[in-house]
Amino acid sequence: MNEKYELLIADYLSGSLDAEGKDKVEKLIASGEIDFMEFRELEKMHEDLGAIPVPKPGKEMSSRFYAMLEEEKRDQKDSWTEFISKKVKILLAELTMPRLAYTVVLLVVGGFIGSQINGSKTEIEQLSQEMQTMKELMMVNMLEGASAADRLKAVNISTELPNADTEAIHALLFTLNNDPSVNVRVQTIEALKRWGENETVREGLVRSIAKQESPIVIIELADAMIELELKNGAQEFEELLRERELDYTVQQKLQSSIAALL
Amino acid sequence: MDSTSDKALMMKVKKGDLDKLGLLFERYNRPLFSFFYRMCKDQDTSEDLIQSVFERMLKYRESYTGSGTFTTWMFSIARNAHIDHYRKVKRSAIPVEIDEERLEAEEDESVIIEQKEQKKNVLEMALERLDEEKREIVILSRYEGLKYKEIADILNTTEGAIKVKMFRAMKDLKDLVNTLSEECSYE
Repeated sequence: MNEKYELLIADYLSGSLDAEGKDKVEKLIASGEIDFMEFRELEKMHEDLGAIPVPKPGKEMSSRFYAMLEEEKRDQKDSWTEFISKKVKILLAELTMPRLAYTVVLLVVGGFIGSQINGSKTEIEQLSQEMQTMKELMMVNMLEGASAADRLKAVNISTELPNADTEAIHALLFTLNNDPSVNVRVQTIEALKRWGENETVREGLVRSIAKQESPIVIIELADAMIELELKNGAQEFEELLRERELDYTVQQKLQSSIAALL
Repeated sequence: MDSTSDKALMMKVKKGDLDKLGLLFERYNRPLFSFFYRMCKDQDTSEDLIQSVFERMLKYRESYTGSGTFTTWMFSIARNAHIDHYRKVKRSAIPVEIDEERLEAEEDESVIIEQKEQKKNVLEMALERLDEEKREIVILSRYEGLKYKEIADILNTTEGAIKVKMFRAMKDLKDLVNTLSEECSYE
């Protein structure tokens, strides 16, 4: 009886139905077009599948992987040095007297131009510093904007800043903890990761875990913890797992992140 | 979820920053182990296959384009590694009935364990007996959290076909559970 609705039921089982879809399933059950007993059995079995355990991989697996990676890195290094030495040999073999003279002239001219430009270097530095301050001001203002698109733009501007001052970092952390849009918060994590060396950013990211409700943001934070090697994140995730009823996929992700962090 | 940072990391690996593969390994060795273990029920084979997946990622890093989700690309590699492994096993004529023996043993044990535990065992056995293609879809969807569209990309088919197979897999699983429960109650 339920074969007619196999696509709909498959979507229901995976949790990808929206409110309208769920409503449709309920109506079909109520009208008897979907056999409720069979439907319930399938739903229960899909739930029960989550209880089948799987052992953990052995520790030697990691050692094997990292040994393989080291070997590959050595090969890569060797191939680069071989490549460069070959190129140098070819270049030297081709270097005739007129070419050598031409290279020397180019070096002298280049050096002269460089020394002329050096004088105005401080002005350029000052200008670029002013540009950065302006960008930061614009970003902080836009982060307070009403539209999510503007706030996303602001977060993107922050990624153009070569280095961030305290105000920009605080504005981004405030956005991460308070912005109503999941997209904005996810982008903010990406932006903050660029300054992963900064202690305020590191602490802010860890503290933010407990403040997040969206599974997408929590998973993004889990990835950030691993990438920035923020071991304190493991404790926060353990608390989340204890205190909240999280989706199965999120639970799995957090457990694997905790294992990676410890 | 496949975050953009997975892609970014793999792009860095492609450009020669091989250490970033370590981060991807830390992130995905558990989900890959879960996939392989549920497919083959063998710890050593699962660990070997994970090694093979990351070796292939290194070998084929130049061909990584960043299109689609990273997990789709990773599980496509995982699936090929699994298929290649079983081709080799068949060619070298190693009997694959080990699973059956294990099943028998579990059936005997399940008689003496609690009802709840028995139910879980029966479901596990049913999953092992499920047709391989359907089992793969159930594992990718239920345990690895992949969307039907992503599974369709990995298996080179349509999203609709995956949904139909998932529904039928669940029905077959239900029938297998009923049959196995009856077998257990007769013993």
